[in-house]
Amino acid sequence: MTKAHRIVGRGRIDASRPVHFTFNGVEYQGYRGDTLASALMANGVHLVGRSFKYHRPRGILGAGSEEPNALVGVTHGQGRFEPNTRATMLEIYPGLATRSQNHWPSLKWDVGAINDALYMLFSAGFYYKTFMWPKAFWTKVYEPFIRRAAGLGTAPFEPDPDSYASRFAHCDILVVGGGPAGIAAALAAGRAGAKVILVDEHADLGGSLLSETDATIAGLTGQQWLDEALAALADLPNVTLLSRTTAIGYYHENFVGLCERITDHLEHSSVGTPRERLWKVRAGQVVLAQGSIERPLVFDGNDRPGVMLAGAARTYLNRYGVTVGERAVVVTSHDSAWLAAFDMAKAGVKVEAIVDLRSDPSVDLQERARVLGIQILVGWTVTGTRGRLRIKSVRVCPVDLGGDAHILSCDVLLMCGGWTPSLHLFSHSMGKLRWDESEQRFLPGDHVEASRTVGAGNGSFGLAAALAEGDQAGAAAARELGYDSAPATYQVNGEFALSGRYFNELPTDRNPGKAKAFVDFQNDVTAKDIRLAVREGFRSIEHVKRYTTNGMATDQGKTSNMNGLAIAADAVGRPMPEVGLTTFRPPYTPTTFGAFAGYARNGLFEVTRKTPIDQWAESEGAIFEPVSLWRRAWYFPKAGETMHAAVARECAAVRSSIGMFDASTLGKIEVVGPDAAEFMNRLYTNPWTKLAPGRCKYGLLLGEDGFIRDDGVIGRLAQDRFHVTTTTGGAARVLNMMEDYLQTEWPDLKVWLTSTTEQWAVIALNGPNSRKLLEPLVEGIDLSDEQLPHMAVAEGSICGIPTRLFRVSFTGERGYEVNVPARYGRAVWETLYESGQEYGIVAYGTETMHVLRAEKGYIIIGQDTDGTLTPNDAGLGWTIGKTKPDFVGKRSLARPDMLKDDRKQLVGLLTSDPTVILEEGAQIVFDPDQPIPMRMVGHVTSSYWSESLGRSIALAVIEAGSRRIGEVVHIPMPDRTHAAVISQTVFFDPQNSRINA
Amino acid sequence: MLLIRCPYCNAERPEVEFVYAGEAHIVRPVDPSQTDDDQWRDHLYVRNNARGLHFERWRHIHGCARFFNALRDTVSDKFVTTYKAGLPRPRIEDIKESM
Amino acid sequence: MTQARYPLSGDKIILTGEHPVTIDGLDDCARFSLRIAPSQSAAASAALGLDLPVEIGGIASSTGRLALCLGPDEWFVLAAKADGAAIVSAFAEIYGQAPHSLVDVSHRETGIVIDGPLSALVLQSGIAFDLAAMPVGTGCRTLLDKAQIILMRETANRFRIEVWHSFSEHIWNFLAAVRREPEFNI
Repeated sequence: MTKAHRIVGRGRIDASRPVHFTFNGVEYQGYRGDTLASALMANGVHLVGRSFKYHRPRGILGAGSEEPNALVGVTHGQGRFEPNTRATMLEIYPGLATRSQNHWPSLKWDVGAINDALYMLFSAGFYYKTFMWPKAFWTKVYEPFIRRAAGLGTAPFEPDPDSYASRFAHCDILVVGGGPAGIAAALAAGRAGAKVILVDEHADLGGSLLSETDATIAGLTGQQWLDEALAALADLPNVTLLSRTTAIGYYHENFVGLCERITDHLEHSSVGTPRERLWKVRAGQVVLAQGSIERPLVFDGNDRPGVMLAGAARTYLNRYGVTVGERAVVVTSHDSAWLAAFDMAKAGVKVEAIVDLRSDPSVDLQERARVLGIQILVGWTVTGTRGRLRIKSVRVCPVDLGGDAHILSCDVLLMCGGWTPSLHLFSHSMGKLRWDESEQRFLPGDHVEASRTVGAGNGSFGLAAALAEGDQAGAAAARELGYDSAPATYQVNGEFALSGRYFNELPTDRNPGKAKAFVDFQNDVTAKDIRLAVREGFRSIEHVKRYTTNGMATDQGKTSNMNGLAIAADAVGRPMPEVGLTTFRPPYTPTTFGAFAGYARNGLFEVTRKTPIDQWAESEGAIFEPVSLWRRAWYFPKAGETMHAAVARECAAVRSSIGMFDASTLGKIEVVGPDAAEFMNRLYTNPWTKLAPGRCKYGLLLGEDGFIRDDGVIGRLAQDRFHVTTTTGGAARVLNMMEDYLQTEWPDLKVWLTSTTEQWAVIALNGPNSRKLLEPLVEGIDLSDEQLPHMAVAEGSICGIPTRLFRVSFTGERGYEVNVPARYGRAVWETLYESGQEYGIVAYGTETMHVLRAEKGYIIIGQDTDGTLTPNDAGLGWTIGKTKPDFVGKRSLARPDMLKDDRKQLVGLLTSDPTVILEEGAQIVFDPDQPIPMRMVGHVTSSYWSESLGRSIALAVIEAGSRRIGEVVHIPMPDRTHAAVISQTVFFDPQNSRINA
Repeated sequence: MLLIRCPYCNAERPEVEFVYAGEAHIVRPVDPSQTDDDQWRDHLYVRNNARGLHFERWRHIHGCARFFNALRDTVSDKFVTTYKAGLPRPRIEDIKESM
Repeated sequence: MTQARYPLSGDKIILTGEHPVTIDGLDDCARFSLRIAPSQSAAASAALGLDLPVEIGGIASSTGRLALCLGPDEWFVLAAKADGAAIVSAFAEIYGQAPHSLVDVSHRETGIVIDGPLSALVLQSGIAFDLAAMPVGTGCRTLLDKAQIILMRETANRFRIEVWHSFSEHIWNFLAAVRREPEFNI
């Protein structure tokens, strides 16, 4: 296998730059410009992997991104292992380490190949049939077996050390595909002055021009013309050329996702260079020039290493200077393979025979073959291949099966079943396909988006057609955007007009039931599997696809969909267009998660909002918890302290002296205008007209459906100005709801809303010593209970900083909420903390806040309510302004369902064992002895250890709970069932005596 | 990602700046207490759920912050037209003629 | 003395080389959200001492004050820190004749400036609309990555971002990550 298969000087690889790389630990040499596939074949290596299901040896089938077989694992360094990389797209660089997949212990000797002999076990739908009985085998035998066997390649375990970039981009015209059609389109649009982006998934732009040998354009060879065209495009400042960039998805209104590979082909790149970049392109016009994909032929043994697409062999020869074998047989139903055979023969490869399934291929082609001394078998078919790890011979016989079979020796079999226009992106754009009866293929129908399809992807096969169509499309797209464009003409000479026919499984004189004629190489689906699926009753192509898994592998059936459809249609006995093609879905080729994530990793994965006091909490060792996008201090453990101990200590400090709490995340909305009170009346359940400036009220907000949406203390700063607070998580939602009513239902009201959540830092001080702490620091506000009673607000200053000082309490203790402009929040906090040391002040977190409010039966929206609680259900009926004619949700409170007396209502729960802290969310039953499934009558919403009470407390919603105070309910848990007594929701200081203590 | 023409900004902006806000032209009764239970149920919960052309509300929440109305095709997802809140529902026939 | 703290104080990103980009936090200033019916905007213009722009996106500025029209009845007002009190009292005087809402949001926002030939390219990583189509001297509310911002184009190469302070760290870190693209010239 060391013999050189390289014709130095041919193709576009750089022969002056040898590259050493490894495959399965063996070092090989290729050249800069090689793909792993071309470099391996230059070293005579065809066997590159084992197949997914049967572990059959597999070689390289194609030369592009459609490759189903040659999937390898690639190591780019620690944490940079990537499975399932297509060897045909992987550019080699010095030190590249690759390995084959799906085998053990080695590629050449693979235990899993036993599956090939157990063929019948693995036919279509084997998952559904084989592993059914006995039932007990499922968890112990079948599932572990399937899990071990399933999946392609091995996923890496380490976090991805690479970074990824992403950006939006806008252009006039996006051209997808850098072959002759795409280049002509880009030239036409670019010369007209349009802003153009031209993308191609390969390292080099050029497409078929990279392997074109026959035709000339304007007297230049294809490759010469390509170089000139690319230079001309590079000179246009309004044209962006992106190679190694795959258009992965085509979305609404010409929004196209591109994945650009930046570093994978490089031996070294600067640390921090993004590996890939996702382009989110919005284009005025799109030109799809994706070309076509060669179709394999379906016959017994068509998957043996050395059996490959004829066009691919031609590409390897002309683009990479690699002869894929020494002795070739060509089998085809399309003229294009003849050209591949001619190129091979001229390059010195022994072409044993051209086997053409058609009875009447072009006389001209036959004549040319004769001149080259190639045996021609017209009207013959292939019925089998031999060779264990590489094809050694092929068996052929006449299509009419009327003559003797021949055995032809070979080391490569080049096949061509015609060409399938690449319709993936067109289909992503919701374009419907059109059936071309004469050529038996699907073509793009009407374009839904502002786009055009040109070249082979539009069924226009050949260089002259591609150039002409591309030019016209580029010019027309530019004209539609208002650019002047002049048509170009491309004189193409020496091009051969190509045609072909399509076959299902090839005719054979052998038992077709025993043929391993593969349709989907990657998922190991054979023609027989598809026919079996139809026999078993599957008629829809979408069902056949899922039952057989045809077209469902990482290549999404690029080489198999049409063959699968043709065979299914034949089996169903209906024409192909009636059976229809399965849906193409993005991404066009497998795409890394990193590319989709882009910058959204680690700290940038999600916004973490922090208050002005957050850094202080962090330096004090606070443990944080996420609350909507915010991170909030959860509790402040001292060294060695458990959460339980820290919370108990924080609670005790608040009840006995003073605690401080960062309440900055509370939503705040300033409601200003002559109709402010009227607006509040219409929105909240409470009456606002009589609330005097300088006073506050607990406000309850319902949805129009009558269910509680939000709550918060609302202060009236002046006749026309309210300071509304909302829950932390509800801030944006409440403002949106307010704006909705104001803009669309009551646009006549003179009132305006402004979010001031982040204008103010809010420091909550709670505890009997809170007034004493504030007194010396506050100016301009009389803190006496007469002047600033509970539920009052005043403006003045604290520590020399303007403040809105609220006298409110969410703990039951004397409480204040100090609002200061955000940039002063940290400094005021620190001053209060220092001054509070004489009272033993503690900073407390959200957990202590939750415990203290639960002791008082104050609800948390979203925890004790779940969108199905009315004010009465939550014990908040008192908030409703009885004389108000209307407010949002009022009418719904009179609906029959809302008046039922068995609605779930918020109550307290005291467990019979006071040390038991119930699980929040635990279900409640009346009768613990009833049979399973039990009737669940409610659930625990809040549950804590109360240090003040020396026992656990809980809140719950229970059917008709408010009528059941004193009754015992049961909470079944996996280990035991707890009993609890229904109580009032206020556990601590029910007389509210501490509010002025 | 769709492009949406905001009738207030008079500009086409990317979909990420907008949020959907339900079916359009559902007017809150002036005095809900005068509706019977069925009427109120319909007002709250009964929607067209059209397959095809659908009048709906959007908000340019990360732009000018205005609610507006739109006619959109729920099959193709695309917007046919947008117009300011408070304006009457355009006649589909008129829009089709002008297209 | 109670000190103000700025979320981004002391931070600055400077990229030199072929395509220099500077990303810097801005000094503090007075900021207001002004809401008033368009029919009353003349009174507001008089109070502010500049003609309020009526087209959404329009910016007007005069004697150190700037107003950006964000919505049909909404303006974002920027002024020197010391000028804030004067603006408040000027608007208080017209409230009786021209009711409106003027709310101090000076501390809600953090200002970031991004300057240099590639500033639009850097921003385009996180902004979905076409910055090339944004005229100099206009502004708008939009999304940068996942955070809502107010964006103003001061010159062809200089943009000002105003962002709620709890989102400013995210915006800053996002811009710091994106700068790798010009840094590595890709």
